[in-house]
Amino acid sequence: MINKTSMQPDNFSPKDSLQLIDSMINQAKNRFSENGFLYLLWGWLILICSVGHFIFIKLDLFRHPEIIWASTWLAVIFQVFYLLRKRKKDTVRTYSENIVGYVWMVFGVSMGMISFILSKTNSWEAMYPLLLMMYGMPTFLSGVIMRFLPLRVGGIICWCLSLVSVVVTSIYILLLLGAAVIAAWIVPGYLLRKKYNQQNG
Amino acid sequence: MEFKELDPILHSQLRLAVVSLLISVREAEFTFLKEKTNATAGNLSVQINKLKDAGYIEVTKQFSNNYPQTICKITKNGIEAFEAYVNALQSYMNPGTN
Repeated sequence: MINKTSMQPDNFSPKDSLQLIDSMINQAKNRFSENGFLYLLWGWLILICSVGHFIFIKLDLFRHPEIIWASTWLAVIFQVFYLLRKRKKDTVRTYSENIVGYVWMVFGVSMGMISFILSKTNSWEAMYPLLLMMYGMPTFLSGVIMRFLPLRVGGIICWCLSLVSVVVTSIYILLLLGAAVIAAWIVPGYLLRKKYNQQNG
Repeated sequence: MEFKELDPILHSQLRLAVVSLLISVREAEFTFLKEKTNATAGNLSVQINKLKDAGYIEVTKQFSNNYPQTICKITKNGIEAFEAYVNALQSYMNPGTN
């Protein structure tokens, strides 16, 4: 905070100037704006879809059990409105938030392209290893940019599960997807929320 | 021993605080700057205008949910002036090394 009694120019020493600069930069730097909401939204949604898909196949409930994944489109629409609203409410925008946003945009575009390429080339057996590998990429990078270890660990777990999924050929591969989102998004999501509430509460 | 001249625009507590905050973020609203500097709205507004007139910051005014919003962003000139100011400060802190 600024000492209002010495607000005039030249009324403070170079040492005071450096202290003020340091204090202001630290205030902006230590601000933590990620509340974990989108990690939790997508984490729980993918968990429900993967486990739901598994149960539908196991119990032979539907002719097209994969239809459950259509719910992700609703989440995409909801996310667009959520981000627009958040952008209006935020009083500051940082460079790191901007970069994290681009990382997830690249992830979204790459996921769309992978789905398109796999559907055109009929190489569905590569889908789950690629999905798990892709989940790891933005998760790990976000962890690096935000200096948040649980996301980095989550990203590494996704890559390990991606390798494991190559040898899992049955429908149990769907459960690996569930395990990946618990490690990469749900657990870090709750930890992000806790950190956010501690710093902003 | 040579002391570099300190930029009078930046050598003011509130203006220096605003520029130091803006150098750390991409852009910030007036309310964020007010909260972090603990300045009064009137004083902050005057200092922001001085920084804007000097070409150190860009100020965009817009409406969000019928409320006016003032968004501030540091310019290339502002970054250069800040760097020059910090260099000048160093000449005071470590005389003879610059």
